Amino acid sequence: MDGDENAFSELIQDYIVESLPLAEQVGDAFIELERRWREGDAGDDLLAPVKGRLHTVKGNSAMMGLPPMQTVAHALEDVCALLDAEPALRHDEAAALLISGSGLLIDLIRTAAEGPDSKAATQFAKRVRAFLSGGRARKVASKRPGLLLERRRSERRSPEVGPEAADSSASVVRVDFRRLDTMLEVLGEGMIEQEAVAELYRKLARKVRASDELADLDRALLALRKTLKRLEGILMETRLLPISSVFGRFPRLVRDLAQAEKKSVRVVTSGGEIPLDKAVLDRIGEPLIHLLTNAVVHGIETPEERARSHKPAEGTIDLRAASESGRAVIRLSDDGRGLDGARILAKAKALGIEADAEDPEQLHSLIFLPGFSTAEAVSPLAGRGVGLDVVAQTIRELGGTIEVDSRPGRGVSFTINLPLTLAILRSLIVEVDRERYAVPISHIAATVRVEPDSIHQVNQKGVALWRGDLIHVSDAGALLGTGATANGSRRFYVVIGLGQRKRGILVDRLIGHQDIVVKSLDATVGRPDVVSGTTILGDGRVACILDAVRILDQRVSA
Amino acid sequence: MSSPQPKSRADGLLQFADELRRQERAPEAPSPSSMLHLVTFALDREEFGIPIEQVREVIRVGDITRVPQARSHVRGVTNLRGRILAVVEIRTRMGLTPAEITPRSRVVVVGAHDRVLGILVDAVTQVVKVPAESVAPAPEEILSPGTDYITGVARWNSRLIVLLDLEKVLLLPD
Repeated sequence: MDGDENAFSELIQDYIVESLPLAEQVGDAFIELERRWREGDAGDDLLAPVKGRLHTVKGNSAMMGLPPMQTVAHALEDVCALLDAEPALRHDEAAALLISGSGLLIDLIRTAAEGPDSKAATQFAKRVRAFLSGGRARKVASKRPGLLLERRRSERRSPEVGPEAADSSASVVRVDFRRLDTMLEVLGEGMIEQEAVAELYRKLARKVRASDELADLDRALLALRKTLKRLEGILMETRLLPISSVFGRFPRLVRDLAQAEKKSVRVVTSGGEIPLDKAVLDRIGEPLIHLLTNAVVHGIETPEERARSHKPAEGTIDLRAASESGRAVIRLSDDGRGLDGARILAKAKALGIEADAEDPEQLHSLIFLPGFSTAEAVSPLAGRGVGLDVVAQTIRELGGTIEVDSRPGRGVSFTINLPLTLAILRSLIVEVDRERYAVPISHIAATVRVEPDSIHQVNQKGVALWRGDLIHVSDAGALLGTGATANGSRRFYVVIGLGQRKRGILVDRLIGHQDIVVKSLDATVGRPDVVSGTTILGDGRVACILDAVRILDQRVSA
Repeated sequence: MSSPQPKSRADGLLQFADELRRQERAPEAPSPSSMLHLVTFALDREEFGIPIEQVREVIRVGDITRVPQARSHVRGVTNLRGRILAVVEIRTRMGLTPAEITPRSRVVVVGAHDRVLGILVDAVTQVVKVPAESVAPAPEEILSPGTDYITGVARWNSRLIVLLDLEKVLLLPD
């Protein structure tokens, strides 16, 4: 019984994986059709592929015994068939019907495993019947009763189905993603164990006299490390998915939102083929939706307002992904009114944060602080009780950064910089007051030995001259609240830096480099500013990972 | 499943009385319907109990790593077979002094709020079954505004076991 259950739920998963993208493509096409029809373009080129996709979805649904989806897909097909025959009907009413139908279809498919809502499907079918009979009852509607399966095979394989199907040869297998997660976890453990053995080797090498065996052991360890790294690379590659899997649902979301706000907004996406680790993709949707919602609700003006400032009535949100030097960059820009500098300044004053009105970059970055929502009337849609600080936090947790650029009257642009993968990080392990921390190598500019008189006190802050620049050097013990007083035990400082900003952090010891597997911190622990996650070291102990980005952001010093 | 359907009200009462007597003699007697299955642990001299269904396992205390800027009542994180387990200092949560780790200290791994968390306790006393009837509401006087996590007190074999609502205990103040 259990086995059957499992087999069925697996089938349902397959169904979702296969049908959802199709339904989403259909939804996107309908939104695009609405635009085109308004512009007087018939959009014939879009209608044809839509019909094929709907037919496939209908067939898949029939196969799985899911009548609601079958009904909705069928009804949509009928509408398309009528529109094919009667171009005069291609107007807003038809578009609205199609869009709401595709939305319903997407929701139904998404919740297929929980048992779909047949009532909504029946209601929609009724709406369609009314539309069809209203649209000068031609005999299009009642043409196809059963026989849903006949062309299923061939259609499923047709190239229009999407990139996965294009190479659906016998050498492609479908793997539950959780398995890849487990594989990575096991690999991570293997890498930690390798580090542990390497550590033992180093201890041993100090104790016993050099020998051939010892040298062989060293070589074997190195080879093992290389092999594990290669395996990691391969595994990471299999975990990559195109970012379009996240972008896909945005056009409909923005359209619905804009409609509720009585605005006209379109989303233009590009770079959907950029690959990202699924673990990153799974978490990046939420912040992007938040930014999109903000753009629609607060950024883009009403059509009247836009007309007054000589902008096209329809606002545009440009969402593009690109890959830059081993990282993914997502840029989301709108052509709305831009951030309100004066309001941010006022809010900063109210919160007691010092802000520089002359430095717009610094001023704008304040919006990422907790409690900093500039929208006075929080709309029910944009509200949801989370601010941009949560967006920034999520992105930081993913090892990324977010920056904002705003021009008054011209719009806001957010740039998110993400690692392509995030599971394994090369890090420097440091010790502070007997506690160990991992600092990601990617954020380290240098490590410096503390020389007598190399650190000066300026305004009660430590300052050092590093490569010709004065940088702020703070004590890790104070920063991390170790509770101990450093009595000259700080022998090194680690210079962390991103771009122009640099900061030194005084530590006791540098333990060494290690590949660490990032494990997130349970929310029960809180949301520390200085720590982005945890990892398990070679000796089995847990170490926190320093959040270099966040520490650089901190104006408070220690 | 062991007790047949009572035929009348009187039969039912008699049966109930029998059952009570049986339980007094053999407290571990299985009677799933009316028994609370508890994991009990000690904090100072008091004994506390949480439903066994919420307990995943009890482990020895390994290295607990402090997390900077963690919420109060969070002792730190520990390695539970490759997973990171947050360890809650239940003593300070209940207004006691922080725990001193001794050989008897244990981490009770619980599932609450859809999460898995560890609770650091002085010692795990045992797993007991107490009749539901032996649970009385906690006396008003001992309840203060911050102690709504106490759901009742079980009197069992001349012991007093304070029953805890884990969900509430683990709602940590910021």
